[in-house]
Amino acid sequence: MANKHVNAIVVGAGAGGGVVAKELAANGISVILFERGGWPVYDECINDELRNQRTFVLGSAFGPDWDRHPRVLLGKDGTKRIVVANGWDYSHIAACVGSGTVSYGAMAWRYMPEDFKMKTTYGSVAGSTLEDWPICYDELESCYEKAEWEIGVSGDDRNNPFAAPRQKPYPMPPFENTKEGTLLSAAARRLGLHPFPIPMLRNSVPYDGRPGCIRNRTCIGFQCPVDAKNGTHNTVIPAAMATGHCTVKTHCQVAEVTTGTKGRATGVRYFDNKDREQYQTADIVIIAASAIETARLLLNSRSKLFPNGISNESGWVGRNLQGHAYTGADGLFDHDVRDRIGPGATFGLCDFNHHNKGIIGGGLLCNEFHDLPYGFSQFRPPGAARWGKAHKEFQVKMYRRISAIRGPIQEMPNFEARITVDETVKDHWGIPVAALSGERHVLDHEHCKFLSARAEEIIREAGAYQTWKTIGGKGLSGSQHQCGTARMGNDPKTSVVNKYGQSHQVDNLFVADASLFVTGGGFNPVLTIMALGYHVGNYIVKNWNGSKFK
Amino acid sequence: MDRRKFLKSTVTGLGTMAMLPACAYDPAPFRFFTQKEAECVIALTDQIIPADESGPGAVYANVVNYIDQQLVRVFRNEQSVYKKGITALQNSCKKIYGQLFHELEFDTQTDFLIKVESNNVPKEFWDGIDPAQFFSMVIRHTMQGFYGSPVHGGNKNYISYRLMKLEYPQVVGQNRYRRNHGE
Amino acid sequence: MKIKRRKTITVIVFIVILVLSTGYSGWNAAHPRRSCASCHEISPSVETSLTSAHRSITCSQCHGTALSSGIHSLTEKMDMLFTHVSGREKSSQDIRMSESQIVEIMERCRQCHQIQYADWKAGGHSATYAHIFLDSTHNRTERPYWDCFRCHGMFYEGTIYDLMEPVDNKGPWKLKNPAQANVPVMPCLSCHQIHSKNEPRQPAMAHDHPRNIFYERDQRNIPFGLNVRADRMFLRADYFIVPGIFKDGKKVNTPAEYDYRLCVQCHSPNYTHEAGTEDDRTPTGVHEGLTCYSCHAAHSNNARESCGACHPAVSNCGLDVTAMNTSYISADSPNNIHSVACNDCHPKGKGM
Repeated sequence: MANKHVNAIVVGAGAGGGVVAKELAANGISVILFERGGWPVYDECINDELRNQRTFVLGSAFGPDWDRHPRVLLGKDGTKRIVVANGWDYSHIAACVGSGTVSYGAMAWRYMPEDFKMKTTYGSVAGSTLEDWPICYDELESCYEKAEWEIGVSGDDRNNPFAAPRQKPYPMPPFENTKEGTLLSAAARRLGLHPFPIPMLRNSVPYDGRPGCIRNRTCIGFQCPVDAKNGTHNTVIPAAMATGHCTVKTHCQVAEVTTGTKGRATGVRYFDNKDREQYQTADIVIIAASAIETARLLLNSRSKLFPNGISNESGWVGRNLQGHAYTGADGLFDHDVRDRIGPGATFGLCDFNHHNKGIIGGGLLCNEFHDLPYGFSQFRPPGAARWGKAHKEFQVKMYRRISAIRGPIQEMPNFEARITVDETVKDHWGIPVAALSGERHVLDHEHCKFLSARAEEIIREAGAYQTWKTIGGKGLSGSQHQCGTARMGNDPKTSVVNKYGQSHQVDNLFVADASLFVTGGGFNPVLTIMALGYHVGNYIVKNWNGSKFK
Repeated sequence: MDRRKFLKSTVTGLGTMAMLPACAYDPAPFRFFTQKEAECVIALTDQIIPADESGPGAVYANVVNYIDQQLVRVFRNEQSVYKKGITALQNSCKKIYGQLFHELEFDTQTDFLIKVESNNVPKEFWDGIDPAQFFSMVIRHTMQGFYGSPVHGGNKNYISYRLMKLEYPQVVGQNRYRRNHGE
Repeated sequence: MKIKRRKTITVIVFIVILVLSTGYSGWNAAHPRRSCASCHEISPSVETSLTSAHRSITCSQCHGTALSSGIHSLTEKMDMLFTHVSGREKSSQDIRMSESQIVEIMERCRQCHQIQYADWKAGGHSATYAHIFLDSTHNRTERPYWDCFRCHGMFYEGTIYDLMEPVDNKGPWKLKNPAQANVPVMPCLSCHQIHSKNEPRQPAMAHDHPRNIFYERDQRNIPFGLNVRADRMFLRADYFIVPGIFKDGKKVNTPAEYDYRLCVQCHSPNYTHEAGTEDDRTPTGVHEGLTCYSCHAAHSNNARESCGACHPAVSNCGLDVTAMNTSYISADSPNNIHSVACNDCHPKGKGM
């Protein structure tokens, strides 16, 4: 029984996939949106810290599960290790409709114009594939605005002198500073910096028929109990379904993109919710499965015409895997600085994103989300007791007297940090799994040293009696901000897709997630992923004439 | 309920009823640990999070129950590590102090664990298990059982949240459509 | 031959029934330690119940017997046996009652606690799923979401999407399972845990008068708390942290009693903890520091007869408080009884 042909398939109902599906469906293009997970269910984990998406001790609330989705880690010395999603080195992305947008911290940053022009701004970097994006900020500005208004962002960047220009203000007022945020902002201002409220994909006031945020302590890594956290699962995907042109197929694992003899994509081969192999044909295929899974899917889509994977003539599919090395500093105070009100992160500053002396790029700095009890028990200043009475005393006494400022450093893309597929290790459905190899560029650790030192200065100025840095920036990147593995570019020899996310080789194959990123910016990526979703969707809608692209 | 399930239940039910007199009243509190192993683990958790002036610790919170519960579920793969580790720990203790771990005085236990932490224990008992890593694992599990949700078996009566003066359950009302209508 | 065989079969069947009935009656009459506690999953619960205020009541009086509700209870008990035999590594914590079992037990609570049941039924806490989730004024302005069950519906086995549709603020709304409409959202077990250590009291008496509550509490453990849906457990009221409540920047003198701590779990202010916001009823003004039970009867929450407990003896005005312009007299009064302060009527001091 063949499935009915549709105009478009979108693989992955995440930040990018959800937006593209809606843009197409709203313009009469029939879409099937495949998702390997299910619809997120709050009641399963509620606010269980041990099954939080970020503290996945006993499992993660929104998957992926540990039984069916192995990956392989390739060490420098040629060792091979099979990993499952119970450790950070797996680099998991939530497996549910909405993906990370269900449980994220929801920071909603626009990248700065320099983030799209890293090579022009800083020149080439030895040992890195640092390059400009084929699009500039101005081309994406209207898409950022669409994301902010359609999905819903609270913010105010009038106190950010480094803010990229905007046509329309944010749709919702910013969140207020917490007690800790107020203290640290004042310190930052005394140092001549420019703190301002973090834009959030959360309702600060009722919006879109859903209530305002209740300042829950258990926010990041959890689903919102009142649906005030905006993601694609409660905005654009239901809107897509309401048009009547979009069907969401959950618990479907897509194995490969199928191609015909003419070198065009003809659809996908997938396994449905009962593990039966099926085929779905479509005129257009859009992959938005997250950087690692998108690369894996492209590499697994091999045929006579595409022996190295579809759209991989350049050999750049899976290359330049980036993420964000989080770096920063913590401090201890002799009075309570944290109060009861969640979720915590309230201000950011962009003073160190660009034009730092001796540094290429840089990154944002923000105060952190509040620690939860178990997470806090695992975090101590260097030299502190790890168990026993002293540990317990610290837990009870210092829980409200600790403060942290952290930020994502913009990584230098490394060609050798890559995704391949393993020929022998297969997942539950017999599909070759992703193999992660390589490591960050050596400059990343240096840049982290710079940014964490700036963070420490602020905390010290705020009055901490003891401060320490968490530098990071080594090892292989990826994690939840993974990007770069199907980079966009004008030159087919050094990119996978063009400036519209369209494959250089296969004109009806698109990518619409963070794999498109050339460089990762020094910001949380999700709003940019959503903007690119509008950008790619807009191109398809304008140029698809019903049977082919103009 | 469909007929098949009903029949299966009935048959098993009747069969069990016939056997019931044979069931001795034997409360088996732990799913994985033997009584002796549990005593050792309880003493370990008592060291890791002791009761003190600020309040009760891991023993009150029933953390051993958390570890026991997870060892038959998510931590299935650690079962042999725990068995071997506890045996190695007891044997090392016997060799150094002449007593089992849970029979020692509190301060002696602390001294012993500091030795374990720095791998300063008789090597012959620790074949295939790194003492420091084993202890780190027990620390992690104890912290999870103490500070995690009670639904996983520990943190009895939210003791850790009460110690930390965390407002739990979180008191937060919803956005009401009627304000103080005088009821 | 055939007749003899039939006779033999009849005799055998008769003997089997006799044995089973004797065994069955014996089982139900036996001490819990010898019957229910034979299964190790249940023995901790049995031990706790023997230290509880209900220690002289056998298990089946609350939990029913295999035949107490026809086929339904029979299949339920068979299921329990089946799980015991087939379920691996189960313990007492894995056992939870379903919502229908909880509601069924409530009907048995009623047999002894008739007055409390009647009071509860007369008050607001006996609301049903239909009352709460199909209230269109509420749903239009405050759409349903996951968290609703935290306060009303904590035993519901499912999510808001399983309960009703559509889950939005447009409606019209309906319950997916019509049988859910008359199920109470806050049955007895929302606030009471029977299997908990406590001393027995006098047989069920009218302890709904506010004064009686205070009188008894000293000798016994707190008999109420909240069934916390998120962690699927009951937490006794004295284990709750006292939330800090504020009014106009100053800390409110919240009641020290434990019943306030329970009530405020659901009748909560918004995240700023400003008194009077959202569902909060923390008394400020003239009633500041008084606990809920000072005025509200335990199960009916009725406060109409409570004024006499303190007024006119502790009135500063010597006036009949029931006639004053507060929300006691009229819901439209601007002076809510929970927050009424002297300044509300005396903005310039003693002179009006």
